[in-house]
Amino acid sequence: MKWDKEKIKSILPHREPFLFIDEVIDIDGTEKVVAVKNIKENESFFEGHFPGKSIMPGVLIIEAMAQTSIILYYVCKPEIAKTHPNYYLGKVKAEFLSPVLPGEKLILETINVKIIDEAGVVDAIARVGDRIVAKANFVLGIKKSD
Amino acid sequence: MNNREEEVKKIIADITEVPVEKLTPDADFFKDLGIDSLKAIEIVAAFEKKYRIIIPEKDIPNIRTLKQITEYTKHLKKD
Repeated sequence: MKWDKEKIKSILPHREPFLFIDEVIDIDGTEKVVAVKNIKENESFFEGHFPGKSIMPGVLIIEAMAQTSIILYYVCKPEIAKTHPNYYLGKVKAEFLSPVLPGEKLILETINVKIIDEAGVVDAIARVGDRIVAKANFVLGIKKSD
Repeated sequence: MNNREEEVKKIIADITEVPVEKLTPDADFFKDLGIDSLKAIEIVAAFEKKYRIIIPEKDIPNIRTLKQITEYTKHLKKD
């Protein structure tokens, strides 16, 4: 199953320039979601990170994995996700292994460790081709919107 | 105190940073120890991994003390 950006935006509250997934390329039941962010040459964050030497900030790789985790939450808990709750990060453990550069296709894999109505634990891997660029474990919180 | 209870206590203490001496058998995770829902799901995920069990979502609100979670892990079947 594939999702385009419009479908992604129907679930994620994020918008440009802080939407960090372009498409969802695989959904494996409620166990795994894989998304893609195409890293363009003219991404706004490259202006400052760093002038003359563009590298995607590690925190934004984390953000891209976290946004993919929200899609994973949606496939597990569609009825709650459709109410557009507030999503927040409770805890992140991350390891950065390789830089991400302009023109690369960042692949974001999220695995369901445990997802319940109001929280989730997710393992994630970010890679470019077969090169793993980051690994993370997230604890996510979900609260109903006021 | 048996080995299972010691193991359980160590997992909870590592995740919550609650001192081991405060983890008495009947202390309520939420009321007495200040454990919130995010810490609770971390504990659940750690127990599932350690003991190769599945803790159903409906059971989570009813596991509120060290004694209850120790008993729970003893009685659940492996996945």
